[in-house]
Amino acid sequence: MSLNFKVPIFDVKNLSLEIKNQTILKNISLEIFKGEYVAIIGPNGGGKTTFVKTLLGLQPYTKGKILIYAKPLKKFKNWQKIGYVPQRATLTDKNFPATALDIVKMGKTSTKSIFGFLSKKDLKNVKEAMLKMDVWHLKDRLIGELSGGQRQRVMIARALSSNPEILILDEPNTGVDIASQKRFYTLLRELNTKENITIVFITHDIGVIANDITKLITINQKAKVCTDPKKMISCEDMSKLYGIEAHLLFNHTKGSHVRI
Amino acid sequence: MLEYDFMQRAFIAGILIAILASISGVFIVLKRYSMIGETLAHSSLVGVAVALISSNNPLWVAIIFALISAWIIEYLRESFDLYSDSVLSILLSGSLALAVVIVSVGGNFNTSLFSYLFGSILAVSFEDVITILIVGGISLAVLLFNANKLYFIAYDEEVAKVSGIKVKALNFLLVSVVAIIISLSIRIVGSLLIGALMVIPVTAALQYKGGFLKTMLLSLFFSVGSVIGGMSVSYYFSLPSGASIVLFVIGIFIISLAVTRR
Repeated sequence: MSLNFKVPIFDVKNLSLEIKNQTILKNISLEIFKGEYVAIIGPNGGGKTTFVKTLLGLQPYTKGKILIYAKPLKKFKNWQKIGYVPQRATLTDKNFPATALDIVKMGKTSTKSIFGFLSKKDLKNVKEAMLKMDVWHLKDRLIGELSGGQRQRVMIARALSSNPEILILDEPNTGVDIASQKRFYTLLRELNTKENITIVFITHDIGVIANDITKLITINQKAKVCTDPKKMISCEDMSKLYGIEAHLLFNHTKGSHVRI
Repeated sequence: MLEYDFMQRAFIAGILIAILASISGVFIVLKRYSMIGETLAHSSLVGVAVALISSNNPLWVAIIFALISAWIIEYLRESFDLYSDSVLSILLSGSLALAVVIVSVGGNFNTSLFSYLFGSILAVSFEDVITILIVGGISLAVLLFNANKLYFIAYDEEVAKVSGIKVKALNFLLVSVVAIIISLSIRIVGSLLIGALMVIPVTAALQYKGGFLKTMLLSLFFSVGSVIGGMSVSYYFSLPSGASIVLFVIGIFIISLAVTRR
């Protein structure tokens, strides 16, 4: 795998956010580089989702600076480079009239030509993204009829259909069974290593992927960045972050696994 | 019945309205915004009352009032932490109250206003047909041009924003087009019943559990069928056209429920 650590995709400087005099994010500075595989962890209500939404321009911030590909957030236009899978994306409205193919085609909406018809090239991208995520055979099935794991892969296929350079996922395993979760992390890692797509995801399953990630960001109002996640995962750190007693379980065959 | 000019006019206008109401209705229903039809219809009624008092063309004044109301709704929804249905309810009651006050002040035009409440095929003039064809045609083109973006927004507003879609502008555009469609429709369907023509065909189509295109086409088919059926019944039995159309579409909804639950 060739990593290009020279180009920061996200460059966050002294980012703070207050809502109704309540501090949500405090003085966060960090960088996310091309090719990285980044996990964001932290307690519920600690600001993880708000931080990601702020990075994507969905949440206005109070102080600081966010640069995307060296451009200020407000001036950044090339959103096709960024794929986003929000929290609870898998918990879809079961009656929504959309096939898996309809959903993945949405990823191409902003590039569509007149009256929204897809070009041959766009359709090829859609098919490739669905094949990559192993959901092409589900293309005519309604999204509400799919399992949590299948829906999750459809959502990622939608994000991939625009050929993004970075994929941001907010708790992608919500509503997904354990077997599918394992398969999901393997797929995610493959996207990172084989396709060189930068991956950033919020998770509570830090133990499962501790061996793979290249950067760990902990967020609880403030952020702490660690580029050697194995060093970061200590009982003391977890206790500080989550405010509860943490126990570290070590798996000698696979590496370190954490249970809190 | 088609040998009469007024029926030809009513059918042309009615079918175009059915097309407009069902296509815009798909986005409205999917955005959980079903009540917006009722609310904007009441706002356009205020416009009709103002036009009757000031001797202006009711259609154009209705469009202006419905547009203002649509923008207020979208502004309140975007800028304040208010539930959409509460905003719609406030505007609906406020508009109706205002229309009643204007009617009371005006005094002698209750009969004209009655036809705008329940719809009347006799009320469609040649000028109305031309206006509906031109303004309705433009509205339809705007809707179809943005259909995929509106569909994406209805499914996931946040991801649509991150994909670079101008969500705020398109939401304003959708409510504006809906406001215009509603104002065009109240002559035939009536302000009390137009909301039904936007929502019920879509809800019936959703029972067949298809994708986007199938749902939109089914909804279009049900809507046009109801308008043709309802207006024919209205002609032969001298019933208000709006009520006949709505009863027809409710019949289709009940049949759809029965067929799909088997």
